[in-house]
Amino acid sequence: MSWLTIMIMSLALAFFGALLWLLRPRRRSSRAGQSPMDLKMESFLPRHYRYFPQVRQALSSFDEEYLDRVAPHDVAHSAHQERRAVARKFLAGLREDFSNLGRLARMVAALSPVVSSEQETERLILGLKFRLLYAWVWLRLSAGRAPLEQIEQLTGLVGRLATRMDQAMTAVSALSAPGLNSSLNT
Amino acid sequence: MTHRETLFYSLTVGFEILLCTLVYLRNLERRLPFFATHSTLLLIGTVGLALVYHHFGFQSTASFNAYWLTAGLIMVSRGFAVGELCRCELRAYRGIWALAWRVLTVLAVFFLGHAAVDAWGQTDRISIYGLTIERDFGISSIAILLAMLLIRNHYGLALGPLEKWVAVGMSFVCVFDVLNNTVLRDAFTEYLSFWFFTKYAPFWSEMKSDLVRANDWWNAIRTSAFVVSMSIWCYALRKPLPAPAKDPVLLPAEIYRELSPAVNLRLRAFNNRLLELLKP
Repeated sequence: MSWLTIMIMSLALAFFGALLWLLRPRRRSSRAGQSPMDLKMESFLPRHYRYFPQVRQALSSFDEEYLDRVAPHDVAHSAHQERRAVARKFLAGLREDFSNLGRLARMVAALSPVVSSEQETERLILGLKFRLLYAWVWLRLSAGRAPLEQIEQLTGLVGRLATRMDQAMTAVSALSAPGLNSSLNT
Repeated sequence: MTHRETLFYSLTVGFEILLCTLVYLRNLERRLPFFATHSTLLLIGTVGLALVYHHFGFQSTASFNAYWLTAGLIMVSRGFAVGELCRCELRAYRGIWALAWRVLTVLAVFFLGHAAVDAWGQTDRISIYGLTIERDFGISSIAILLAMLLIRNHYGLALGPLEKWVAVGMSFVCVFDVLNNTVLRDAFTEYLSFWFFTKYAPFWSEMKSDLVRANDWWNAIRTSAFVVSMSIWCYALRKPLPAPAKDPVLLPAEIYRELSPAVNLRLRAFNNRLLELLKP
């Protein structure tokens, strides 16, 4: 059997597998024929970034230095690990916020009569880049090599985007048909 | 015909009659006219071919040509049915459809172009051309369906149950066509290639059993895949179809024009901050 034959057969099987995977039933997906906008608005809006002040306090460098000074080594070590775990969970929350906003942007695109291929391609590439960078930051954070304070800047970005999306969706609610309007406000 | 061939033939005709009955009983010709045409062509093709075989003989040139003509027609009708499925699933979202049809057309042109290039320069035989084109048509159909599903998935749009089962059946028959045709084409262009040159005629008697065995396997796999995909379609049509979903209410174009660049700008800024985090 030639390499081309093996490649074509593998490609066909891979395509078929991917197709079946995409067709698998999903609990969270919207029902057939249901407008994407029928989903609740709250599920799209960022929630985690709002808790940053509390998380910042828990992760502050003063606390870390204080622990190093006064607590026994094993207690300080365990506390550092827990703080890193909290930071990772918080980072995962930020990712969720961000992907929800991305999802909302895609839904607005789906319901728009005109869509720009440049904008959509750019968002697709940015989304892929974000996933890669997120994985990298997550690894560095786990290894204790990422400064926790810098996460604050990320939350600021998410917060501003959330406000912007909120304003846009209010405009959407005001402009759209009554049926859509009521579903947006649920 | 052998017992096995008779069994396969009866199964195929039985399922094709059942499929056509269900298609017209559920008025699918109004919703998916090309799929209804494809189902009808399958039945007409099988019955028509049986009549040609009976009249001219299985080994005759007329039967051979009739077989490839029918296979071509069915392949084209399947292509139209795949295109129709994509259009039916995306056309309500006008902006997305305007993007998607270009992507799907590029994919179709790429794979069909590949088929033409691959068939070029092969032994001048209809079997090899037919197998190559059918193989790449199969891959093209799966790739197009996959692209359509990826686009729907990306934009969070769910697929209706009927369309989902039609897509599964289509891709099932296509993937088996690709595997089956690839193996047989490989055999025809390699160790069975002497069959196509008259200067090797003295070896034909030795090769005949291999050729018959290869053809038998090819037919058996192809027919089984057809039967399985038809049973999938019959399963999808077992109950009366729900009313088609209403088209979504589209938003004014300015919402997207305003929102999309703002989101992309933030995404870019977010990625830049992540990059800064990674700097030593």
